[in-house]
Amino acid sequence: MIPLFALVSMQSEQSGGFRLWLPLFLVWLLLLPLAVLLLPVIFIICMVRQVNPLRALGLGWQVFAGLTGTHIEFEECNHSFLIRII
Amino acid sequence: MSENRRQVLEMLAAGKITADEADRLIAALEKESQVSPPPDRSESSPKGKPKYLRVVVEPEKDNQGGSKGPKVNIRVPVQLIRAGVKLGSLIPAHARDHVNDAFHRHGMQFDLSQIKPENLEELIEHLNDLTIDVDDKDIKVRVFSE
Repeated sequence: MIPLFALVSMQSEQSGGFRLWLPLFLVWLLLLPLAVLLLPVIFIICMVRQVNPLRALGLGWQVFAGLTGTHIEFEECNHSFLIRII
Repeated sequence: MSENRRQVLEMLAAGKITADEADRLIAALEKESQVSPPPDRSESSPKGKPKYLRVVVEPEKDNQGGSKGPKVNIRVPVQLIRAGVKLGSLIPAHARDHVNDAFHRHGMQFDLSQIKPENLEELIEHLNDLTIDVDDKDIKVRVFSE
């Protein structure tokens, strides 16, 4: 399943911080026409590099879908940073 | 993705709950899954495939109650590792040589071409048995799968 939401949070004791929910599914919808436009370019690059374009696209999609569930959290002194992809 | 988490996201997408409420619910679900006891490694029943690789770095507390270093908590989906290794097979030969040279320069006798997708499933299966604990005087590092 592709990432649908991302949570980006940055907290600091001095300056407060923010917590941002990004609806990625809307971003993907907006980027879809761009992806269609880029498709021929990707095919040409794959042909030049002698890579099967379907395989490359399939693997790219797997990496994209594999991002779901990623969680990166970093905390030091009074600062904390979090990215969660859901 | 668990059924509970999917329901929370669906409620958020439908506007039934706010982003903050969704955040609290998901955090509670994650806490619940962390609190539940880890499966007994010694039991003979077949273990499920690992879904995530976790890297946790926990600094020791200093005398004033603060921590001696950064606290890091990273969870990487195994599916991403799997896709990444497969993607490695698309690296052109000359680029792979550059990467291997860089590994060798930094003292790592590692060859990218040795990682083959056909060996990947076996590697992922063995992640279940992998737990790395590093206990230093200032910091604790744990690498494990879940």
